[in-house]
Amino acid sequence: MAVIIVSSDSLSTAAHIAEQTARGLNYRCVGREILGGLGKRYGASEEKLHKTLDELPSFFGVRARAHAQCMAYIEEAVLARLSEDGAVCHGLAAHLYVRGVSHALKARVLADPSEIIRETMKQKGVSPEKAAKIAKHEEALRSRWSIEIYRSDETASSLYDLVINLSRVAPEEAVRMIVESSSHPRFRPTTYSVKCINDMALASRVRVVLLALFPDVVVEADGVAVVIETAAVPREKEKRIEAIEKLARSVPGVGHVEVRVANDMVRQAAESFR
Amino acid sequence: MAKQLQLLILDDEPIVGKRLAPALNKLGCEIEAFEDPERALKRMEEKEFQIVVTDVRMENVDGLQVLEKVLAWSPGTKVIMITGYATLEIAREALTKGAFDFIAKPFTPGELRKIVVKAAQALGFNLKHGEELVSG
Repeated sequence: MAVIIVSSDSLSTAAHIAEQTARGLNYRCVGREILGGLGKRYGASEEKLHKTLDELPSFFGVRARAHAQCMAYIEEAVLARLSEDGAVCHGLAAHLYVRGVSHALKARVLADPSEIIRETMKQKGVSPEKAAKIAKHEEALRSRWSIEIYRSDETASSLYDLVINLSRVAPEEAVRMIVESSSHPRFRPTTYSVKCINDMALASRVRVVLLALFPDVVVEADGVAVVIETAAVPREKEKRIEAIEKLARSVPGVGHVEVRVANDMVRQAAESFR
Repeated sequence: MAKQLQLLILDDEPIVGKRLAPALNKLGCEIEAFEDPERALKRMEEKEFQIVVTDVRMENVDGLQVLEKVLAWSPGTKVIMITGYATLEIAREALTKGAFDFIAKPFTPGELRKIVVKAAQALGFNLKHGEELVSG
């Protein structure tokens, strides 16, 4: 069964289309309701997880390190759910980090702009002109968020398999289009595509374990083998390798760990001036 | 008498056929391995194979062309694509053209054996006497 990821310029539109699609296919729907349980599991507030998905890291908001950690928690939870059969995901930025999985159908649903303005007016109690300005600002913010966090512009149509404009297509028709597209053979899981998502899920589990102590780590998985890249000053290299290996091996599913340590030039330069 | 499953392996790297043939033999299939796509295609014109395992990237004729030809001659054949250059695009193209499955190299003979068993089951062959494959 395919995995379906619904992205939209309106959270409520994405949720509505995803829920209807999941109902039509008898799939599970995975949305922001998972953030509550995730917060409890990792000791992060649900509000912080929501903010992480909606805002860029900032001094007065979610700081950069916490932002990266919260995104790692979200990725881990989403990938675990998407590596099981039959799911429709929305509102969790999965379209940006589920990459190269041939059975993942990514759909972008563009809400009717007049509908977005109406919703903004209702939510914020502002005039139509002000609501249009807010909507435009929020769209620009989403684009910036996706570029800064994932180096990929979520407003670019090239990111998706299907782009549907709700100004021209009714929501129920959009749902039907997604349901029908998902049954195309190209979205059938293969041994390769299932491995791709399982590898991503394992890498995300390892990353979550390592991030608190080693915020710079880059993790990749291939089957049961995990490659971890980090940076350290030469005198700390062996200690760091040992600590990372120990933590990574504690993650279920990890069979082999390779740690690659680059020279931390910045710290080395800073220390040489002391 | 039970019909034996006919399987063809095509990969321009000789080591692949040499390693896979004995592993798949354990399933009780009759196996023919080829390194030259043109010779393999000629053989497939003469004889019907229920399962074809083919590499994607080869000189002269690539695996996707092999897939199209095999399915044109024998629509029921299950074609399993193997490649060291797997991408989302190639996987989708192979599936659209009718491939049964797609697996990235490197893989273990056991992993391919699982896919072959699945393909055999889809063709109505049942596992009997341990891992031996026979048709009903």
